[in-house]
Amino acid sequence: MSVPNGWTLAPVGGPRPGSPTWDRAEVVENAPVGDRHYRMRLAAPTITASARPGQFVMVSVPEETSVRAVLPRPMAIHRRHPTDGQVEIVYGVRGVGTQALSQVPVGGALQVVGPLGRGFDLAPETRRLLLVGRGIGVCSLMTCAEDAVAAGVEVTAVVSARTRDALVGASDYRELGISRLIEVTDEEGDSDPHTVGALLRDALDEAPAQQVLTCGSERLTALCARLADRWAATLQVSLEAHMACGLGYCHGCATAATTAASESALICADGPVFAVRREGRVSARG
Amino acid sequence: MSGRTGSTSPTLTAGPRHGAGHVGGHLTGPAPAAGVGPPARPTPEDARARFFAPDPARVTADLSVRLGSLLLDSPVMPASGCFGPELEGLLPMDRLGAVVTKTVFSAQRGGNAAHRLSETGMGMINSVGIPSPGVPGFLRDVLPRYHATGRPVVVSVGGLRPEEYAEVAEELGDAEYAALEINVSCPNLEHGGTEIGADPEAVARITREVRHRAGGRPVWVKLAPMVASVTEVARAAHRAGAEALVVANSYPGMVVDPGTGRPVLGNTVGGVSGPAVKPLSLRLAWLVAQAVPVPVIGCGGVSTAQDALDYLRVGAAAVQVGTATFARPQAMAEIVRELDDRCAGAGVAKLPELVRPGGDHEDATTPTRHPGRSADDRPSRGNG
Ligand SMILES: Cc1cc2nc3c(=O)[nH]c(=O)nc-3n(C[C@H](O)[C@H](O)[C@H](O)COP(=O)(O)OP(=O)(O)OC[C@H]3O[C@@H](n4cnc5c(N)ncnc54)[C@H](O)[C@@H]3O)c2cc1C
Ligand SMILES: Cc1cc2nc3c(=O)[nH]c(=O)nc-3n(C[C@H](O)[C@H](O)[C@H](O)COP(=O)(O)O)c2cc1C
Ligand code: FES
Repeated sequence: MSVPNGWTLAPVGGPRPGSPTWDRAEVVENAPVGDRHYRMRLAAPTITASARPGQFVMVSVPEETSVRAVLPRPMAIHRRHPTDGQVEIVYGVRGVGTQALSQVPVGGALQVVGPLGRGFDLAPETRRLLLVGRGIGVCSLMTCAEDAVAAGVEVTAVVSARTRDALVGASDYRELGISRLIEVTDEEGDSDPHTVGALLRDALDEAPAQQVLTCGSERLTALCARLADRWAATLQVSLEAHMACGLGYCHGCATAATTAASESALICADGPVFAVRREGRVSARG
Repeated sequence: MSGRTGSTSPTLTAGPRHGAGHVGGHLTGPAPAAGVGPPARPTPEDARARFFAPDPARVTADLSVRLGSLLLDSPVMPASGCFGPELEGLLPMDRLGAVVTKTVFSAQRGGNAAHRLSETGMGMINSVGIPSPGVPGFLRDVLPRYHATGRPVVVSVGGLRPEEYAEVAEELGDAEYAALEINVSCPNLEHGGTEIGADPEAVARITREVRHRAGGRPVWVKLAPMVASVTEVARAAHRAGAEALVVANSYPGMVVDPGTGRPVLGNTVGGVSGPAVKPLSLRLAWLVAQAVPVPVIGCGGVSTAQDALDYLRVGAAAVQVGTATFARPQAMAEIVRELDDRCAGAGVAKLPELVRPGGDHEDATTPTRHPGRSADDRPSRGNG
């Protein structure tokens, strides 16, 4: 994932997250949603209690399976249910690991490490928030909506996907009672940045969002950068990288090419959320 | 094995080691949007807390091992690059034999281009390329955090030129460490890390130079696996004064993305590790253990106590655990505890009695033929 031309990544502000823990989390639910995703609910009270918006967990693939997938899978914390001590992830079945995860029965247990990474920094002064997610990227944003709605912030969310069946998160946003939900898909032809941009300008030009948070698409990140410019809003993006440790010691997840003396930021420990800034502009907050 | 459910499960405050930094957070609702930290409340219980909780019912065996001049509490320690102080609070470290640092270079290095790692069949490949803070940065920011684990610290030393190894040892000076581990074998350095490890002369020279600067402390050599004769390199290292040999590093390899048809790794090639390499490194450990009279530390694909025992039974004195820690941060402690349990199950109090073929009642895999024939590792032999 690269940043739009003329923009750079910087660490997000806000408090340092607490230390992670791990659990043998019981699988409370593991059911298909739409035509390609699974929603998995895990009993992990300590992780649920301390997870902040935009953080993720590492879910280990059960060792009993024949594939012996040695690397845990990074998954955004999609929902927190603190009263039940449960977190939800939503995942797409892509390769051997997520395939094996989709086979884990309710009542099974998975090793989960988390909460991990630096999540989104929601500024206390923010009254209007825009969340723009595509595909499974929506999952990283949902916990922001949880907190923002609870704090009385006006939330506008875009969910984008290839097809209607692949849309993630619309029902969650509705359940949370956000102010405005915009669903766009490739099959309906309204998911291109031009159209989404027009929809958002229509919706928000009068009372613009002060913060824009995005995940899942470079083209939408570029759109968000233009909108942030237009509204003098700040922008944060959640990035992906292949990971091994998720904690910052294996150095496997550096953001960009580097052979220079200093290493670029680690997605797992310095991110996955980064502030996107205009090159050369100093701003107090992501 | 991880669920030590029999133990009474104290709340957070019971475990002195994990309390630090484990922000509990509230149970009643998600944190408010504003950047306020969650209130510090006791963390409710989870499997990690239970794993850390003292268990009066657990019987511990004497797992101590002697590696040259060092006496370690257990034969289990991390492999370089697959461990960090970040694991504090996730992995009980009190019974690790030692902790091993990521390889340190003299100059500050940034490491290889992304994409740096990928999963492979029963393993993984990495081309992290050893980003390093340089020795001053290491001494200032990194080494103290390793000492905070309370375990003997083994510093892994690297170099892109033979002289760089000595420079690192020199710059480390009299900083506190238990041993140096010379990494002659990382397969993914820009300039021939592999060549250094394949050349017995170079390995001997580096070993001598580093020893002269180690202030009398032990120097280990971690061997490269893909060399014409691992025993020849092992003998060279031994003659040059290595006190123990780590066998072995990851295996040079590459992976092509079926979609793009191009190598997956930014560096094109990388090191293969994990369960897939265990039979390969087990054989090398067996060969080296017979070829040299110094302790061998087995490394490659260890993820269970059985894996560790396999290495010990072919002649290794200790093991290092790498890839397994990624999916199970507590893996090394689980291995130590299972070794305890296996000793208890076999009615023995000390590790060597368990390692002895047949020493472990439960273990049906004891080799009937003791690996006793003289080592000859020419590729044309013994692989039919
Ligand atoms: C911070 C973060 C949050 C994520 N959140 C979600 C989420 O909420 N839902 C979801 O479906 N996916 C999410 N992903 C992507 C998810 O981790 C991968 O889709 C998943 O690891 C693929 O595993 P697999 O077994 O299907 O694929 P395989 O092809 O078997 O995977 C092989 C290796 O590549 C890694 N890998 C493959 N694709 C990706 C990728 N896109 N990102 C990172 N690693 C990858 C795997 O982890 C594994 O180590 C997230 C990734 C990151 C970094
Ligand atoms: C991500 C990663 C980083 C590594 N970094 C180093 C290193 O800095 N120095 C070194 O000597 N070996 C390094 N290794 C190799 C391991 O120490 C070990 O020799 C190898 O992974 C085999 O053990 P395993 O199968 O248990 O992982 C690294 C391995 C991995 C997977
Ligand atoms: S995944 Fe290990 S450092 Fe980020």
